[in-house]
Amino acid sequence: MGDIWLLVKPRILGFRNHLARASGTRKKRALAMAGLGVSFCLGLFVISCRVLLHFQSAEVIGDILARYLLSMIFLTFFSLLIFSHVITALSDLFLSNDLELCHSMPVSLEKIFVSRAVQTLADSSWMVIFFGVPILMAYAYVYRAGPAFYFHLFHLSLAMTVIAGSIGILVTMLLVYVFPAQRTRDIIMLLSVGMLVALYFLFRFMRPERLVDPDAFFTIMQYMGALKAPRSPYLPTQWITDALWASLTGSGGGDVLFYMGLIWSTAAALAVITVWTAQALYFEGFSKSQEAKKRKAAGKRLLDRLVKWVERPFGSDLGAVLAKDMRTFFRDNTQWSQLLLLGALVVVYVYNFSVLPLDKSPIRLDFLQNELAFLNMGLAGFVLSAVSARFVFPAVSAEGSAYWIIRSSPLRLRRYLWGKYLFFLLPMAVLAEVLIIGTNYMLEVTPFMMGLSSVTMLFMVFGIVALGIGFGAVYPDFKHENIAQVATGFGGVLYMIVSSLFIGGVIVLEAGPVYILFMSGVRGVPVSPGKWAFIVVSFAAVLALNAAAVWRPMRTGLKALRGYE
Amino acid sequence: MIQLINLTKVYRQFRAVDGIHLEVGKGKIFGFLGPNGAGKTTTIKMMAGVLAPTHGRIVIDGMDLLKQAPAVKRIVGFIPDRPFVYEKLSGIEFLHFIAGLYHLEQGAGLERRISGLLELFELGGWRDELIESYSHGMKQRLVMCAALLHRPRVLIVDEPMVGLDPKAARLVKDIFRREARKGTTIFMSTHSLEVAEEVCGEIAIIQEGRIIAEGTPAELRRQAGVDGNLEEIFLKLTGGTGDLSPVS
Repeated sequence: MGDIWLLVKPRILGFRNHLARASGTRKKRALAMAGLGVSFCLGLFVISCRVLLHFQSAEVIGDILARYLLSMIFLTFFSLLIFSHVITALSDLFLSNDLELCHSMPVSLEKIFVSRAVQTLADSSWMVIFFGVPILMAYAYVYRAGPAFYFHLFHLSLAMTVIAGSIGILVTMLLVYVFPAQRTRDIIMLLSVGMLVALYFLFRFMRPERLVDPDAFFTIMQYMGALKAPRSPYLPTQWITDALWASLTGSGGGDVLFYMGLIWSTAAALAVITVWTAQALYFEGFSKSQEAKKRKAAGKRLLDRLVKWVERPFGSDLGAVLAKDMRTFFRDNTQWSQLLLLGALVVVYVYNFSVLPLDKSPIRLDFLQNELAFLNMGLAGFVLSAVSARFVFPAVSAEGSAYWIIRSSPLRLRRYLWGKYLFFLLPMAVLAEVLIIGTNYMLEVTPFMMGLSSVTMLFMVFGIVALGIGFGAVYPDFKHENIAQVATGFGGVLYMIVSSLFIGGVIVLEAGPVYILFMSGVRGVPVSPGKWAFIVVSFAAVLALNAAAVWRPMRTGLKALRGYE
Repeated sequence: MIQLINLTKVYRQFRAVDGIHLEVGKGKIFGFLGPNGAGKTTTIKMMAGVLAPTHGRIVIDGMDLLKQAPAVKRIVGFIPDRPFVYEKLSGIEFLHFIAGLYHLEQGAGLERRISGLLELFELGGWRDELIESYSHGMKQRLVMCAALLHRPRVLIVDEPMVGLDPKAARLVKDIFRREARKGTTIFMSTHSLEVAEEVCGEIAIIQEGRIIAEGTPAELRRQAGVDGNLEEIFLKLTGGTGDLSPVS
């Protein structure tokens, strides 16, 4: 046990030192992030309480719904935990830099494995705890849970984590045993993205919004039939749901003990099986992961053509940087595969507008269509910001540890930064227009709204991309292990907030003029000169805001990048 | 060719480089020695334009690095101590990327130059492989190819022998001598006193951010009052003994 503790200790000490020796700015950032996290948890708690209270207001089916929801929550968390353990185990058990040192020490393989498995458990579970606690506390609050519920919640969740962790680690060990770890990472990434896209489509096309409208079903049996939460006596999540539900409602004390026994015996058995498997497979897998193999660039011809076409207008130096970015992007499976997610997002976004029950609304149809089209600009802007946070914000950080090449080269940083900006402008503008024109087409809006929202979105793209590049340059992370994580840091969150404020600002400034123009069209009354002046000033302010959103972040980003050390 | 004038770098309260004055003539190989944490890499990074000095000037070929950075960088080749490169590019793509950054003319001449350098550094067989499958030493050699690609007039090198096998180390020393004969000025930091003794015509020793000795190996011997090799001079000047007694 002492050796396992020793092996885990460097991580704990590193974390402690990171917190204790952080500079003033870092501490402030950490506090701001913690504040955001607490606000998010509170928001989630309030929403969960409202949903549960809403359920309770429905006689007969209220408790059934709450129990189904609990079962679905645990099933989701359990799946996420397995998924997260598969990915984390790969780096914690096979790819971490300090593993060489650990394996060279006079410590048994079993102890190294257990210490790493414990780290994997901690690394993989914190996010689920972060999302899970507010929801489960809402259950405790609404159902006035006693102390036994909290006790069972704690230890049963721990057991569930051990079960999910063991399954995840076992899967990873088997995969690495068959493939080398470097290839396994690619395979896992591709599989996981494919799985996420499939789940996303499945969930969306089930149209869960129908469940909040029981009138749409003829009988209660039909309604219950539509609640398709998997219910199996062999699923550990079902045991937890049943045990916790019994504890929550004070019914069936014997059930709680029975399910506790089931869950903990499964967790213990799986943990033992995982350690046994590790004794047989872990070292061989680790050894394989250390081997470097020659890797040819795949799909080279097609990529070469694409790169040549794109780099041409940017000149020799900038073209070289962008060509490098494109090659790196398309050769990194963890990067391009996220385009699949993006595609799914766009399809579902546009699909949502096709199933809006506009005909059931008490508001005039043309008015509602245009109002929705207007609000849709904000929503599409937000989607663009999220996409930009993932792809544009990390554009500077993407240089990684090789950033010295850019700094020591004759390429001016101003040219470098603006080049990156221009590079992202066209694809983002295309995405924006597809989103806005596609949804407006579904809504059958007036030509005026179609024109206005298309032009507004186009202008907003300039600002959203500039904010992404600028904030990315102010908060670069050249030491990242995975580029996808760059957007989840302080800079990424701050970018999303500022970008949302910018989009909100544009929408607010345009709301007045659009209302005046729309109403004058509906009433057939000409717009007065005073109102025209207001319209002109408002649109001028929109232009000014857009210009500021481009100029200011780019300037600040450039300054920050020049001073980066 | 290279002038460092009152070069200073301060990190918060810590003076990593403290008012350095140095001059290196054209075609010279200049060795920059010092114990760990003495300020060698910080100085080198400032000379390569990767770090901004707190005070002082860096003048290369008569141009101020801070005022004419792109022009200076165009004639400088930089080899850092750790060869961080873009892992998802192949060796040849990486060199084409560097050629683009330095505005080298595309065509048969460039292809010959790239092929020649890859062969010289024994990377010809790996030109189309992704860099992620290269060993540390191969990456280091690839970075050297990149630094020489645009025929720099000044070469700034940080710990050139780290990760190289004896054959590659010998090759690098020969290349440095050949480049110096052709008029390239080489400013090189190293821990290896043998390397410094073998290839450097002039040497400076830095300690705690300050130059404590400078000159040819013979002049350093006089300054240290030691008649031995460079190792003895270094230990005398930096105050180390190299004794095992404290450990035992």
